[in-house]
Amino acid sequence: MIQRLTDALGADSVLHAPEDLAVYRFDGYATGATPGVVVLPRTTRDICAVMKVAKEFGVPVVARGAGTGLCGGATPGLGAIVVSFARMNRILELDIARRRVRVQPGVVNLDLSTDVARHRLFYAPDPASQRSCTIGGNIGTNAGGPHCLAYGTTTSHVLGLEVVDEHGEVFTTHIDDIGYDLTGALVGGEGTLGMVSSAWLRLTRMPQSVRVWLVAFGDIDSASETVSAILAAGIVPTALEMMDATIISAVEAVYHAGYPTDAAAVLLIESAGFEEDMERCQTDIARIARDHGALSWHAASSQRERDALWLGRKSAAGAIGSMTPNYYIQDVTVPRTKLPHALRAVEEAVRANGLRVGNVFHAGDGNLHPLIMYDKRNAYEVAAVVEAGTQILTTAIALGGTISGEHGIGSEKRETLGLVYSSDDLDPMLRLRDVFNASGLLNPEKIFPSGARCAEVR
Amino acid sequence: MPDRKRSRVAPTTITMLQEAVISARDHSYALCIRGAGTLDGMGGRVTADLDIHMTHLKGIAAFEPGDLTIGTFAGTTLAELTAVLREHRLMAVLDAPHPQQATIGGTLAGGWLGPRRHRFGRPRDAVIGTTVVMADGRIASSGGMVVKNVTGYDLSKLYIGSFGTLGILARVNFKVQPIPARIRAISARLPEHTRERVIERMQGLSGQISAALLIDGFHREIDGEDGSDGRLVVLLETSEILLEQATRDTRGALGQAGVPEATIVDLGPMDHLQRIIDAGVATIGERSITYRVLGDADDHERRSSQLSADLSRTGLRMERIVDACNGDLFVRLSDRDSRSFAGKLADCDEIVHQHFPRAIVVACTSPIRDQLTIWGEHPAAIEKMHLLKSAFDPDHRLNPGRFLEATTNG
Ligand SMILES: Cc1cc2nc3c(=O)[nH]c(=O)nc-3n(C[C@H](O)[C@H](O)[C@H](O)COP(=O)(O)OP(=O)(O)OC[C@H]3O[C@@H](n4cnc5c(N)ncnc54)[C@H](O)[C@@H]3O)c2cc1C
Repeated sequence: MIQRLTDALGADSVLHAPEDLAVYRFDGYATGATPGVVVLPRTTRDICAVMKVAKEFGVPVVARGAGTGLCGGATPGLGAIVVSFARMNRILELDIARRRVRVQPGVVNLDLSTDVARHRLFYAPDPASQRSCTIGGNIGTNAGGPHCLAYGTTTSHVLGLEVVDEHGEVFTTHIDDIGYDLTGALVGGEGTLGMVSSAWLRLTRMPQSVRVWLVAFGDIDSASETVSAILAAGIVPTALEMMDATIISAVEAVYHAGYPTDAAAVLLIESAGFEEDMERCQTDIARIARDHGALSWHAASSQRERDALWLGRKSAAGAIGSMTPNYYIQDVTVPRTKLPHALRAVEEAVRANGLRVGNVFHAGDGNLHPLIMYDKRNAYEVAAVVEAGTQILTTAIALGGTISGEHGIGSEKRETLGLVYSSDDLDPMLRLRDVFNASGLLNPEKIFPSGARCAEVR
Repeated sequence: MPDRKRSRVAPTTITMLQEAVISARDHSYALCIRGAGTLDGMGGRVTADLDIHMTHLKGIAAFEPGDLTIGTFAGTTLAELTAVLREHRLMAVLDAPHPQQATIGGTLAGGWLGPRRHRFGRPRDAVIGTTVVMADGRIASSGGMVVKNVTGYDLSKLYIGSFGTLGILARVNFKVQPIPARIRAISARLPEHTRERVIERMQGLSGQISAALLIDGFHREIDGEDGSDGRLVVLLETSEILLEQATRDTRGALGQAGVPEATIVDLGPMDHLQRIIDAGVATIGERSITYRVLGDADDHERRSSQLSADLSRTGLRMERIVDACNGDLFVRLSDRDSRSFAGKLADCDEIVHQHFPRAIVVACTSPIRDQLTIWGEHPAAIEKMHLLKSAFDPDHRLNPGRFLEATTNG
């Protein structure tokens, strides 16, 4: 098989030395098995060739972007072919007038925005990992990010896809196609429905004016009630992020972002739009924050200060890493009015299991990310983190929420998918999977609980 | 082929709907799923044994204004949805024809796309969860009542635009947004040779305006009287403070495009927009046909002029609506009497598709409609769509004939 892949792609695009393979076992969450081979395609044709070889030999194929995923989506099973898109990192076509761009899947998220900035455009979905994660991975997970509150997640920015299917054939989709919205169904497919070989994306105009505020609170409840109140007042900022005291002190220790270390929680709020609207927006948000007992209010006065505030937020997970040997990021969404309740429940679940938690999350979307600190070498703590994580999932569901807001199901949550969906709910999902992945070779053992098969009809 | 004799049911709950589907399954009945019929001009004629009327499965299933989400049963009308949301100064932007009758399920299944989507998003982006009754009678939900959700595949996307051929939408959950403080329409007559420049200018302003529609014809439907051709209607939705600025910007842009005068319409601007949307599917007896093309407005402008020239030999009258912000084009062709129209229809259909291969029919009541290329050129991934259809509805019992099928039975 390796020979066949080498014939098709060239020796420099096929890795099979054990030391080369080892790094492809991981993503940001889990460790998989050692793959049999890693291929680095340069073109759509290369991907087709790989799929054909995979099919011929009956070997599973795992698509891989930057491997920053947090649900064990890109981790391979033993002997699998990992397809890394690292070399497919070109912007193929840029249509400035119509504000759209066609890119290869390996383009790094932030690189795209940086590249089109000269046209006063940007690519809106901005995961905190945007300095390394790829468009292919973002499409695979339907990634979100702080600014998705106003702009929507990845799925709202993908206009069309070129996909290599399980047989090694190419097909294309577009959201304007008549009939079934395959584009929408494929986004979030976690590599189980095909390999995205290029994508048409929507670009967004840079707003005329951007304001960033940092608001401090003496307790978490006040901060989360402020979030609900802002949205209830009909104000939708472009970002509405929350960090608790644990995160604030971790970030300050490492990045000196200028967060108040005496606060129990801060909200990082960004509004963007027309200059004239921003004053009013600021007044309204400040009033709501004051009514909810805000301790302090700080408006960033320069681009540099805005960047510093954002850098703190986007580096929070890294900063926590300096406080604990290991941490686990949970990802759940609840209806926004349930935020105060959800945060209390998270705190209780973690504390009851004898662990500590930091919260940094997309509060405006109700998307929680408790970072639970533990030590992998301590068996008790490992069990405790699993238990706390599961309790958070059940709490989110009980509050009318769900078990993943943006990270995906992957291998991590597949066995808990049944907490949200009945077997009847899962049935059409499995039918969709079986249409695009009848061979089962595309990223097997992901998303669906083990043993979940398309039940016979009738 | 004449329709087989049909019976009908009108379920009021999802369980009743499920019972109807199960009983139909047991009798091997083909089903025709009916909303209010406002988009009957799209798609093929359904050959079925049982009509399922969805208009009684209605009401609000869940609504917490502070969450900015709402759950609705699929037979709820768009007007009912709008009214409930408006009490809390919220909106879901669907912008479909005849909101007093149109059901949420029918509008979504028909994949309707409205003029304000470039600003407020497509219906597909607002739908956060669906509950569907499948062909085998299973009730299957996906998504939920939260605005961010990657738990399993996003099946809701598939049902939107599926013309009821994959499953029957029973409940739909939306994320909603605040209604802008001020709404204003600006209308103008377009002097000769200004259209291309107007389109370009309006596209430049598309961050500020929510719709810009260039209209030729459709006088009865939109203005209630005959008038001159070449009108523009721009919709502004802004904060209190920005309204006058946006008005000045729009007028300025129009002036630069060679349009000297523009009138402010503050009375019922949304009604005005609604009449234009309704016009998109309006027929003139059995002697008109309306096509819709999605794509690029500037390109459409050129190509529709060529189309007009090519059609002149047929003697058909051409009316059109160009959506400058989204690039949609609606073209209505009509004749003086239905018999002569029927004689020209096949020819005209061919000419339209020469210029716009992807044009689809959105309105036509002529008896010979079924012989036309109502779906235009097939989408590139049609084979995948066929596979999906067979997987979701193996016996092809949901709306047979409505959407492109691999094997035509009729
Ligand atoms: C510090 C940190 C912060 C993060 N913040 C966020 C955040 O704010 N929001 C958020 O949503 N996520 C966040 N993440 C998670 C992660 O970055 C995202 O899930 C991202 O989309 C993964 O991109 P990737 O290129 O690393 O993909 P990978 O991890 O390599 O792959 C992700 C999934 O996509 C599939 N895939 C990859 N490429 C393709 C392709 N071409 N075709 C088909 N399938 C493909 C893979 O098989 C896998 O299932 C964060 C992660 C870290 C480490």
